[in-house]
Parts: sequence; C-alpha cells; structure tokens
Amino acid sequence: MAASDQNDDSQDTGNMPDLGDAIDIVTFGQILEMDDSEEDREFSKSIVFGFFEQAEETFESMDTALEEKNLDELYKLGHFLKGSSATLGLTKVKDSCEKIQRYGKKENEDGTPEPDEALCLRRITDTLATVKTEYSEVEKILKKFFDSA
Amino acid sequence: MLEDPAYSEVVRWGDQGDSFVVLENEKFTKSILPKHFKHSNFASFVRQLNKYDFHKVRHNEENGHSPYGASAWEFKHPEFRADRKDNLDNIRRKAPAPRKAQNAEDQYGVANSQVVAIGETLAATQQQVQQLQESYYEILNANKIFVDEIMHLQKLVKAQNQVHNELLNHLNKVEQERKDSRNSNHSTPAFNSNSSNLLSDGSESPLELRRARDILNSLTVEHHADRDLNRMSVAYHHTGGSPESAGSSAMMGPPGTGGVAPFLHDPLNDMRHLVYPVGQTIGIDPFAPEHMNNIPYNRPGQENAIGPGSDFHAAPMPSHSSPGAPLSGGGSPWGSKKPIVLLVEDDRTCSRIGSKFLNQYDCGVEVARDGLEAVNKVNAKQHAYDLIFMDIVMPQLDGVSATAMIREVHPNTPIIAMTSNINQQDLEMYFHWGMRDVLAKPFTKEGMIGKLRKHLVNFLRNPPPEAMMDPIYPNGGPAQPPTPGPYLNQGMGMAPLSATSSGPVAKFDTTPVQSPATSSSWHSPSQLPHASPTISHDQGAYLAAGSGSQMVLTPGGTQRPQYASAMIPHMGGPQKIPEGMQRHDGPPGKRQRLYGPQER
Repeated sequence: MAASDQNDDSQDTGNMPDLGDAIDIVTFGQILEMDDSEEDREFSKSIVFGFFEQAEETFESMDTALEEKNLDELYKLGHFLKGSSATLGLTKVKDSCEKIQRYGKKENEDGTPEPDEALCLRRITDTLATVKTEYSEVEKILKKFFDSA
Repeated sequence: MLEDPAYSEVVRWGDQGDSFVVLENEKFTKSILPKHFKHSNFASFVRQLNKYDFHKVRHNEENGHSPYGASAWEFKHPEFRADRKDNLDNIRRKAPAPRKAQNAEDQYGVANSQVVAIGETLAATQQQVQQLQESYYEILNANKIFVDEIMHLQKLVKAQNQVHNELLNHLNKVEQERKDSRNSNHSTPAFNSNSSNLLSDGSESPLELRRARDILNSLTVEHHADRDLNRMSVAYHHTGGSPESAGSSAMMGPPGTGGVAPFLHDPLNDMRHLVYPVGQTIGIDPFAPEHMNNIPYNRPGQENAIGPGSDFHAAPMPSHSSPGAPLSGGGSPWGSKKPIVLLVEDDRTCSRIGSKFLNQYDCGVEVARDGLEAVNKVNAKQHAYDLIFMDIVMPQLDGVSATAMIREVHPNTPIIAMTSNINQQDLEMYFHWGMRDVLAKPFTKEGMIGKLRKHLVNFLRNPPPEAMMDPIYPNGGPAQPPTPGPYLNQGMGMAPLSATSSGPVAKFDTTPVQSPATSSSWHSPSQLPHASPTISHDQGAYLAAGSGSQMVLTPGGTQRPQYASAMIPHMGGPQKIPEGMQRHDGPPGKRQRLYGPQER
C-alpha cells in the first residue's frame, strides 16, 4: 500500500500504469491526476466504481430494450454509456456503444441510414454481447488496478 | 364600535358623550386595533389620533384620578360627539386620504432606512462606476500609445535592417580591400591603420555609409508617442512597477490608484464626467431583490464572450492558445470573483469528472442532471451562472431545448454544448438555438478550461493581452464612443477595477453590473426619449452630465437625502437604456419592476 505505482505493468508512461489497449491511458490518466493522493485514489476509484454500476444498469436496460425491440431506447442507452466510457478512456467499450447508438438510430456503422429494423436489432444483439465482454475485461483490469493501489 | 356593548369594557364613549375612552389599553391594542385599524400598535394609534386633532384628556389636575380608571385613555375632539355624527366629516387630517396616510406612517420607518441604504449603495456604485471609467480610459490611452509605439518601433527596426545591410555590403568591400592590401605586401598593423582610415574618412565607401546615415536620420527620434509612454511609465513607476514593465503591468495587472492618476489631468479624462450622468444610475432601484439578481444587462464576463461586434467576439480567441494554463503558483486564475458554472449532464460519471475539473480550476460548480433541472435551476437562480456547460442528449429535456429556453431569459450567458455529435449539421443547430461554443466529448481538462478562459475572459486575473488589445483599438480612441459601448466599458474596466477598489466590490458585489445603465449614454441621445428634469437631452447625455454637479459623490455624506429625492424624477432611468441594452432584457414582466417606483 505504500508505493504509489506498484502495479506490475507500470514501467512505461511515467507513473501512469499500463492498463492495456482497452483503456486510453491519456484520458484515464487525467482522471487519475485528479486524485488528491495517489495512495488511496479516492476520487478516481469512486468514479470508476460508479461507472461500473452505471454500466451494469445500462446493460440491463439494453437487454430489456432489445427484448422490446425498442430501437430508440437502445440509441439513447448506447449514447449514454458511450459518453461515460469515453470520458474514462475505455476505448473499446466506447466504440461498441457508438455502434449500438448508430444501429438504434437505424444507421449503419458509417452513419448511412439502414431502414431494416430487424437487421439493426440483430446487429445490436451481437454488439451488446461484444461490449459486455469488453466491459468485463476492463472491469477486471481496473479492479485489479484499484485493489492494488 | 364605541357603541358596541361587547366592547364597553374596553372602549366606549365618555360619560358626557363628547369623548371616547379606552379603558383597557392592552385589550384594545390586541383585539380592536387589529380589527379596525389593521395594526396593533397603540402608540401609533395615539399618534394618528393626534394627527386628526384628537387629544388626550388629562385628569391629573386635581384629584389625579381619571373617572374611568388609572389606565384609561380618554380622547377628545371638539367635533367628535356621540350625538353629532354629521360632524364627523369635519374631523380631518391635514394630509389627504386618511387611510393612505396610515399606511404611509407605517412605511416611514422602513422607507427611511431604505433611503439611507439606497444612498450608500448609490454612492458606492457611482464611485465604482467612476473608477471603472477611469480604468477604461487609462487602458484605452495606454493601448493607443502602445500601438503607436509599436508601429514606430517597427519602422525603426526596418530602417536598422537596411542600415545593417548597407554596413555589411561595406564590410565586404573592406574585406576585399584587405585582401588587396595584403596582396600589395602591407604589414598587418599597417593594414589596420589603413582600414580604419578607410572607415573614418569614408573615402572608399561614402555611398553606403551615407545612405545608412540618411536612413537613420530620416527617423524622428522623438516620436510623439514616446512622451506619453514616458509619462505612463513614470506613473507606473510610482505604483511600484518598473518603467520597463510599464506596458505589461498596465495590460496584465491591476493598476494601483497611482496608475489612474497620470490621466486625471488628461483632457480625455474629463470625458468620464460627461459619460456618467448620475441621474441614470439612480434610476435603478438597488433594493428590489429581483433587480439585484435579474439585472437586464449582463455581467461583464458574459458580455465579453458574446459581444455583438464581430471583432469583439473574435477578440478573446487568442486566449485559446493558452487554454490549459495551469494554476501558476497555486493561485486562483480568476480575479476578485470566481465564476459560477452550471454543468448540465445526465451521465454522472461525466458530470463528476467535469465538476472536478472545474472545481480544481477554482470555479463554483453546480450540477443539473437534465435539461429540465437546468432550466429550473437557472430560473431559480436568475443571473447567478456565468457559464453553462450543456450536454445535448439528456432525458426529460434535451440540451438544445433547454438552451433555447434559457436563452429567452438570459440571452447572454455563454452556453457551451458538450457533445460527441459534432458534424456540421448538428453544430449549426446548436448555434442556431443559442449555444455559444462546443466542447467535444469526451472532454479533457484542457478543453474544458480552454472554453472557460475563452468565454470568461473578464473573470481572469490576468487576461491575455491580445484579448484586451483588439477590442479597444478598433474603436479609434476614446473621443469616439465605441458602438458596443457597454461591453467594452465593462470588459476593459473590470479587471483593474476589481483590484483597485476591493472594498466596494466586495460589499456591492452586483453593482458593477449596473454600470451599463450609465454607459447607455454612449449611445445616440436621440434614443433617449425620457426627458429627465436635470438632463437636457438636446445636448446629449455627455453635455448634460457634465453640466450638472451630479457627479459629486459624498458617500455617507449629507447628500444622501438628495439621492432620495432625486430618485423620483430619475426613476425613468431604465427607459433611457437604448436598444442595445434592451435587447438583452428579460421578459417584460421583469422590467416592470424598474418602472414601479416611479408610479409610487
């Protein structure tokens, strides 16, 4: 508990830990910088764990919305989680959320309109599965990071 | 009432029917006064009676006992008789309507204290306004001088360049000479003397040297700006700044009182008297709380960010180049007043991080979780927010709609969209509905602070010099009032003022906001329809203000009562606010407040 960066992977970016390519260290780093103390990481920890709750709630809502074939709701949920994951620098989660947002808006990945709702729903189903995996990966990494910090 | 038997124990006619008696003072005060006179102040009741020429009947001449008991009060009026109701009309007060008089009586106490406070507030306001004005002219002057000086220096540098070129050419020739002289077998010392001869008598290169000298001579060394600059630097030296740093200290730092002094006798400075007709300042009722919080003009910070003139709008841009300037030395980046920012964001992760960034940059932060909450908060707090960061996609009410709603009341608060949807079409929509800027999501600390600094230039303790230069200079000096007068006036005056007069600023926090009312005189007088008794509008506000002694400020002095009396004729002040200001007005209902006192 004494040293600030006892994380195993923390050799490259100064005292910034390497958290893998799922997490953008520059973005995440600026949240870590907000901590008053690197020892307890009170602020960033509460932010990240708050995000965990938020993400899990959102995934549940997404499941429900998917069952209800509510594309508009999925668009909103995708957008919502995109925002917070982007702010934390969780690149992969963010990218998948962006896809869900687009599909929910009846768009293709490149933003062109996609009138086939069934296709959009199918895509969302796939992407939702992906994003959940991506999420649990970063969750693991981050929990490990904060547990060791 | 006097005949009512239910009250006979408390109040009734006197035995002779020519007076009435209050038998039980306390009961009378508690039950009858509230019922019939809407108050419960016996002393006041007695005072009123006296005003109507009722007098207390004294019984202590002989026996010292009243026939009605020791605590009874008997009142008599020559026309007041139980059997002569027709005489009641003869019982009159000198003042007109009795009931109104009663109210007025009650209000006197409150009004008096208000008058005193109003007087003080105004005195302070006016002082502040004057200081603002002085600072503004000083800076305006300084800027002019600086620009002149810079242009002059540029010329000099150009000339020097030419001279250098000529000299180089010449030296090349000398070099050539040297080679020649070596070839002709001169010794080295001999060459030295030789070459110096060449230089001194110029026999070999008179052309270039003369040209160089001509160029130098063609420049007037005594540039007219130098004098002013000198004077300024001397003045700044007084205040502790070194002459060398005069320029930067004038721009960056708050000039001390000494800094203001050099221009006190400047002919330009007389303008400040002309520009501040006190009557118009008085036109504002500083007591109405709505007014305090909902002044139709906008705060300097907001003004600056969204000035109407395009050049002014563009002016703060350069500050963007130093967006994330860290808190140097741990001090606050803001001047005397730190901005209050509203962060509207439904995502609590973003919201918390955003507030943390803002907090660390020493801003006051409030958070709303959706557009509806934001609108409610803004409405509840009136003018309290200096800047709003607004998410776009939110439940209940989206950011664009919220912005449009806030715009109706606060046309000038900088509202900055926070969004990841930044295609051209979206941006156009955001701006169309009143967004001032866009902060791309995910936002960074630098990005956020950059926007803060850009839109709250006047809150900065050390505003970027570019931002101060540009807006002033295009106006061509103080002799010609700049069109966006109030903006400039405030924008420029704020920073130095806040430091110069920390006293009044701290106490009358909102007073600076009132100054636009006075700067309204900068606009064409023809726009001022309301003829004030003391201001001749034919001559324009400038002359009018200069001609009167209205500028005299005696804070807490004997003039106070005059403020009060002056208020009534001047109450039309807000009417004089020209279009430029009214545009930023709140809904009509709020303006009504300003007119209110006039009708009283």
